[in-house]
Amino acid sequence: MRIIFHECKKAFTSPILVVLILLFMAYNMFLIFSNSYFKEELKVVNELAETYGVKMTDESLHQFQQDLQKDFAKLNEITRKHTAQEFSSIDEFLNTLRYEDRDLYTEKEWAFFTQYQLKEMYFNLAKSIDSEYDRMDWKRMAKSEIEMYGLSGSAAKILQNEYDKFSQRFEEMKENREHKTWFFAGKPYKVHSFLFRTVFGHLIFEALILIVLATALITNYEFENRTNLVTYSTKRGRRLMKDKLAASLLMATAITAFLFVITLGTYFSVFDYSYLWESSISSALNWEYNLPYVSWWNLSFLAFLLLSILLVYMCMILFSAITFVISIFVKNSYFTFFLFTAFFAMAYMMNGFMPQSSMLIFIAGFNLSLLVMNPHMFFMGSGGLMMFKFYEMITVGVWMMIVSVLCIFSFKKFNKQEIY
Amino acid sequence: MIIIKDVSKQYGSFSVLNNINLEFINGVYGLLAPNGAGKTTLIKMLATLISPSKGEILYCGENILDMDEGYRTLLGYLPQQFGYYKNYSPKQYLLYLAALKGIGKKEAVNIITELLDKVALSDVMNKKMKKFSGGMIQRVGIAQALLNDPKILILDEPTAGLDPKERARFRHLLSELARDRLVIISTHIVSDIESIANEVIMIKNQQILYKDSVEKICASLEGQVYEASIRYEQLDEFRTRYVVLSEKQERGNMRVRFIHKEKPETEWQPVTPHLEDVFLYEYRDEIEVEV
Repeated sequence: MRIIFHECKKAFTSPILVVLILLFMAYNMFLIFSNSYFKEELKVVNELAETYGVKMTDESLHQFQQDLQKDFAKLNEITRKHTAQEFSSIDEFLNTLRYEDRDLYTEKEWAFFTQYQLKEMYFNLAKSIDSEYDRMDWKRMAKSEIEMYGLSGSAAKILQNEYDKFSQRFEEMKENREHKTWFFAGKPYKVHSFLFRTVFGHLIFEALILIVLATALITNYEFENRTNLVTYSTKRGRRLMKDKLAASLLMATAITAFLFVITLGTYFSVFDYSYLWESSISSALNWEYNLPYVSWWNLSFLAFLLLSILLVYMCMILFSAITFVISIFVKNSYFTFFLFTAFFAMAYMMNGFMPQSSMLIFIAGFNLSLLVMNPHMFFMGSGGLMMFKFYEMITVGVWMMIVSVLCIFSFKKFNKQEIY
Repeated sequence: MIIIKDVSKQYGSFSVLNNINLEFINGVYGLLAPNGAGKTTLIKMLATLISPSKGEILYCGENILDMDEGYRTLLGYLPQQFGYYKNYSPKQYLLYLAALKGIGKKEAVNIITELLDKVALSDVMNKKMKKFSGGMIQRVGIAQALLNDPKILILDEPTAGLDPKERARFRHLLSELARDRLVIISTHIVSDIESIANEVIMIKNQQILYKDSVEKICASLEGQVYEASIRYEQLDEFRTRYVVLSEKQERGNMRVRFIHKEKPETEWQPVTPHLEDVFLYEYRDEIEVEV
């Protein structure tokens, strides 16, 4: 353990790594704060979940509607007081507003108008869920995806089958009503994309840079400082490489944990999720683009978040191990970084070069680069070409085996390598 | 103790060492040869950093590669190019190496204090090594080689960068250490080992040329080394006729030391051969090429 600590020390006292961590941390905080202009509006849905429960039921929606009617009466009471006018809806009221009217109402009244408008938006969204979901035709989706990617032969068949399975899951979900939970409205705020694509995306990219640098530094440290002859002739000898791998994985854990704690700590202190942790990630409100986010499993937001963190962590551990293997053969931090970047880019682009009629197009997609580049689609059935139910598990599992074999092979190779 | 048995080392078609057979017991062994003769290759094989292409190295009858850490526990090694972490202090660096050598932290702190005192670095033990001179770094290297109180101490060019005072101190330290262990010093500086080595090993043409005591090696030139005073104008012709070992100016003439295997002239003064004479004589071709 003492040796592993000494190896870790080499990375966490490296000025470049320390500066980069601070820089990334500051950037993530800036990114979150600069996108937080709508954070006050997000409190409305928390209030709804607090008042009516996170699950939408017919009774709770009925209660919500009655409360909205009271709010509507209050709206007309206010407008009557200031303008002697009454309106048939909040939209009519807002459409008739002129700039000069701003001063007619107090700050508190304006806050009420905004809140009422948002509540009505959420109510309308909730009311439209069934009709929107009834319109979903997964067979047609499958056809359009197949056409879009130009798939044919066995590839088209595989995707069609997967969509058939997913349509069953969709029907089950409709039956157990897991999609009927309060969540941030997807189309106006795109909170899921912001958290899981933008924030997670940046974090993954940053963690990747730091972990590759830290692993390459730890593994190559002796060769770059020309202390290799001394260290590898000690009692520990070439087994030191095992300590270096352990230290690299420990550093990958520490870097990932540190970035997650700081970034998500900032995110959740800015954006209020107080009553939404138990909301479903497949909530019908979490619908940003053409398709709603529908997970293969019944996952709460909290479960989805934790699983996503775990998945990112496992990928980072695997990336660290891949860097370690490259380092053993290259013995130069810069070349290692360059080769890792090439490997990452090639893996990411690989399925684009596969024949569209063969299942190779899917097999090539089971790689870590493609996986981590789409964190907003983790565990989702609506994930395009990589929509397979166990895509994440298979990718991580297969790469864990590949990387383990590579590590064993590189240890054996290093044991026989001559050290100059 | 250590037996080098039929060891050869080749890199592709290039042969560095060919069929080397040696035996080491306790005491100081000087490995003497010019640069590029294969000393470092032999040393690295003894340190298990590289493996022989042919043959094997045995410690108490067991192959050192099979002994693995059991062998390296007994080993202290100072490489020719001793690398260090410039932002570490000697104490920090030695603590790290102590961990690699399997020495407990508390024990290591005491040993390090003692060793740094021995190599006269105790007053800078907490200073970053980036400000150290070459000689100071070399002394840190000597200290690290002694950390685990090795039974086998291998030093590759240990006096490189040391000033005359430090060299004298180092020789004294070695004589003290060699009492109960095997010390192998690889060098191309004759004076490093002449006075302290029990045996000197010389390598030439990838093979062992000598493995004997200094006296016996010097005896190979007994009666063949002379000194004479000649005029400066005669020097060029003298060099073509005899193997000149050294030249120095003396009262307007040149005092030359040289080898002659036939009947000497009367004005020549026979002198006792030194190890340096053998070295210069045996490696005259390599040295000329180097010059």
